[in-house]
Amino acid sequence: MAVNTARNNLRLYVLSGVLVLWCCAICLRLVQLQIFQYGQFERKKDHEQQRTFEVSARRGIIYDRAGNQLAGSTAVDSVFAIPSQVPDLAGAISLISRITKDDPRETLARCQAAKTFCWVSRKAENDISQRIRDLHLRGIYFQKESKRFYPKQELAAQTLGYVGMDDQGLSGIEREFDGQLAGKPGKMLLSVDARNNTFSSVEQQPEPGQNIVLTIDQQIQYIAERELAQAIADTHAVAGTVIVENPHTGEILALANQPTFNPNQTRAVTPASLKNHAVSDIYEPGSTFKLVTISGALEEKVTNPNEIFDCQMGSILFNGMRIRDSKPHGLLSVTDVLAESSDVGSIKIALRLGDERFYKYIRDFGFGSQTGIELPGETRGMTKPVSRWSKVSIAAISMGQEIGISPIQLANLISTFANDGVAVPPRIVAATVEPQTAPKMVAFHPAEGHRVISSETAAEMKQMMRKVVLEGTARKAVLLGYSSAGKTGTAQKVDPATGAYSRTKYVASFAGFAPINNPAVVVAVILDSAVGLHQGGQVSAPVFQRITQQVLEYLHVPHDLELPASRQVLMATQIHDQDLSDGPQDHVGAGIGITEDGASSQQVEASNNAGTSAPASQVGIIPAAMREREPVTATPLAAPTTTSQPSVAQPISGTVVLDVQRSGIVVPSFIGKSVRAVAEMAQESGLDLDSVGSGVARDQSPPPGSHVAAGSQVIVRFAR
Amino acid sequence: MSRYISFRDFDWLLLMYVLMICALGVTEIHSATEHTKFAGSHVKQLYWIAGGLGAMFAMSLISYQKLLDGVHWMYIVSIASLVSVMVFGQKYLGARRWVKLPGGNHFQPSEWVKLILILAVAKYFADMQSRELSWSDFMKAGAMVGVPMLMVLAQPDLGTALTYFPIAVMGLFLGGLSWRQAGAVLLLGALMMPVALHVLKPYQRERLTSFMSPEADAQGSGYQVNQSKIAVGSGGIWGSSNGSQTHLDFLPVPQTDFIFAAFAEEHGFVGALGVLLLYFMVLVRLTQNAQTAPDRAGTFLVMGVVAVLSFHILVNVGMVVGFMPVTGIPLPLMSYGGSSVLFMFLALGMVMNVRMRRFVN
Repeated sequence: MAVNTARNNLRLYVLSGVLVLWCCAICLRLVQLQIFQYGQFERKKDHEQQRTFEVSARRGIIYDRAGNQLAGSTAVDSVFAIPSQVPDLAGAISLISRITKDDPRETLARCQAAKTFCWVSRKAENDISQRIRDLHLRGIYFQKESKRFYPKQELAAQTLGYVGMDDQGLSGIEREFDGQLAGKPGKMLLSVDARNNTFSSVEQQPEPGQNIVLTIDQQIQYIAERELAQAIADTHAVAGTVIVENPHTGEILALANQPTFNPNQTRAVTPASLKNHAVSDIYEPGSTFKLVTISGALEEKVTNPNEIFDCQMGSILFNGMRIRDSKPHGLLSVTDVLAESSDVGSIKIALRLGDERFYKYIRDFGFGSQTGIELPGETRGMTKPVSRWSKVSIAAISMGQEIGISPIQLANLISTFANDGVAVPPRIVAATVEPQTAPKMVAFHPAEGHRVISSETAAEMKQMMRKVVLEGTARKAVLLGYSSAGKTGTAQKVDPATGAYSRTKYVASFAGFAPINNPAVVVAVILDSAVGLHQGGQVSAPVFQRITQQVLEYLHVPHDLELPASRQVLMATQIHDQDLSDGPQDHVGAGIGITEDGASSQQVEASNNAGTSAPASQVGIIPAAMREREPVTATPLAAPTTTSQPSVAQPISGTVVLDVQRSGIVVPSFIGKSVRAVAEMAQESGLDLDSVGSGVARDQSPPPGSHVAAGSQVIVRFAR
Repeated sequence: MSRYISFRDFDWLLLMYVLMICALGVTEIHSATEHTKFAGSHVKQLYWIAGGLGAMFAMSLISYQKLLDGVHWMYIVSIASLVSVMVFGQKYLGARRWVKLPGGNHFQPSEWVKLILILAVAKYFADMQSRELSWSDFMKAGAMVGVPMLMVLAQPDLGTALTYFPIAVMGLFLGGLSWRQAGAVLLLGALMMPVALHVLKPYQRERLTSFMSPEADAQGSGYQVNQSKIAVGSGGIWGSSNGSQTHLDFLPVPQTDFIFAAFAEEHGFVGALGVLLLYFMVLVRLTQNAQTAPDRAGTFLVMGVVAVLSFHILVNVGMVVGFMPVTGIPLPLMSYGGSSVLFMFLALGMVMNVRMRRFVN
């Protein structure tokens, strides 16, 4: 027994030893796992349980000068998968693709590559995301993201630009101000347990981007776009652009382009429709450039408006080059050289000026440098220094050849004359404002202007340009009740194939201003390759006429000329309408339908102050106050109001569009139609839709059948 | 003889350690099953423990010598119960292990067969007169354990079958297995290993693992071990409970087989070490009792319990930390489960039984 016990005890010790060794091994293992590899396992755990997402911040809103949203954001669902949790990935993807109409193979490939996270459908429409939700698939989740939305569809598309899937600005203001608009993305922490229950928490709040207020006025923009589209349809031009500018402040009130696109549907966008011709086109200006030649000569006092030049019956031989006028002229005063657009006359005037002085004016008027407008892709144009001029260059440039300019530079040139010889660079962004505060009053700071010609020369030029309209090449630019001035241009395009001037392709332009004394607007119209009639005076001047007429009426610029008798009646009603509105005439141009928050009264004061301090402004109706080099309280901005103007047939007080043919839109009945259908109908009839609610149209104001001005606002209430 | 028996000789210290482990187990079951469909398991576990305590005291009253005398009958009954499982057993998760009792409870005979085997092995080696173990004794003892083991394996329940193995090993080792015999057996086993692996096709091997752990997730065969390691590792030194693998349900069956992983995650290295220390104390205490046993049978009996208990602990903890493959072996005293708790307390009752009679001779 004793031996036995001793042996047993030995064996017990052996067993205990094995036990202790095993325990030590386990302990060492625990040390390894829990102490040395702790961080690694902690990360593994987080990797398994948590996914961090970037949640895009709400992108800043882009407003027009009156506070109407031109670009906004709505919250939509994005669908993503955590592939490791999806039991049948291929099946799930194909089910979803059937709803989204995406290519299932592409999505599947992406999801197989990423184990933890992949987007299945970004920014899906609400009905689509709901249908995906109804599938109740495992491992498929939804995340709210903000989607860019352009409520006015094509309006100012090239100026606004558009955004990509991640809300990155790809063109226009969206691209130029991407940094300000984007805001800071937030972080979302999503914890997932093994049963696919998710617990999400916001780790970092997104910071919304800054809002941007443009100098664009949506009504003027609308008018410009409609008339440009009509002109394109009439002339079959391949492209065209219209610029409406306030010459005193450089504010761009409208910037229209054709062809255009809908930034809400960017899949169909073509490079041609994206192009903002107004700032990125370089074209030979042709006769509009004679304004530079003649104003330079007048400023240098080498001639005067009444001096007579012999235009040699429309033909001149200069350094071996023969130049012919389109129409033979004999003796012409300088004024008539401009009015009749004589090439011979302008060559002779340019020769008086000489190469160096001529080049100085070209540069002073801003050609060969960017205007600095806040849009991407602005061109400097093409100008050669004198050292590179040939013997015939001065002759060619005097009539607008051998030089490339952009439409915005042309508008800037006309603005300089309209603004008494001071060039104020054009601007399209009034201000960037903080996201939280709804923009009410923004101060617009005009860019520093510089004097190019004396105000005497400018006054002479205005009178001469007036004669272009009254007696010269641009008689179709005559307005009703307003004086107008401008210059036509018809430039042969250089055929890229031959390098020679084309005989069939012309750039037809007209740029002018109205009224003569204290011009309210400068309007430049450029049509590329019109078919048939192709001269600036024939095709572009009428567009100028239609746009300027409507814009001046919209801005309530008082008439400086008698109206024909037949129009008097209409005007009387307009004046009546104006009397009904409580504000003085001055305020109307600045804001559309703003009647609350005291904004209007402040604005009226500001306008009145501006009016009294600037003696030239008795004409008074200028979109923004017009003091130079001073911050001007330009525009009261208010959230688009829907309730403040209940059932007024004409939401914009006193606006009458004079062109009888184009005015008096009959409001259709929207009742019972879907949001989309209503939007399309409103677009077609030229009405500005303000939709409230969702579902089916229940109510509308103004009522069906009433007559309203084109571009008027229609409020439609939707309900389910 | 029985007048010498006193509860003063009851191993109260051992009982204290055991109850501490049970208490930690109950809190961890509560924590791991909170907000799941198993919520409330800790209360059931408390009932099982209370029942177990009662069974332990009852067991300690019946002299183990009397139990050993009747062990033949018990062995026959246990074989019969295993047969009845094969015939009438409830099939659950691909294995036939449970017998449904009237009253809605389930009974798993393989657990208490363990107890009988401890007794049977103790009896066999205690009655053996020779100091040296003959090959025929070796074969007889092997067959005694091997037959029920194969029957359980056929259920199939590899985990429980494996727990019979240490009973035989312990008995043979203390019963006088010579080093030469041990060497021969080990050599034979080592030679059999590649043959067994070769014979089994990969899918069969995998199926074997799925016998052991039918709950194995479809996300890959390493899923459970992986999750367990992540849980243990992310516990760190002091533990963490926020957003833990256990609470987020990544860890499979955290209240039974993987309770040590759940505990190590929640209480960290310090907690895990504490639990291991408690188990070690229990084993030390049991071994001391074996040495002070009044006779050979008592020593064998207590050491049989030590063998089963330590095997459970080592395999379970080894599995949790990634040393061992996943087998369905619970951590005794901590893991949730009535059969397991009852078995442990009955086994402890036998140990107490032996201890209380240490001065009898």
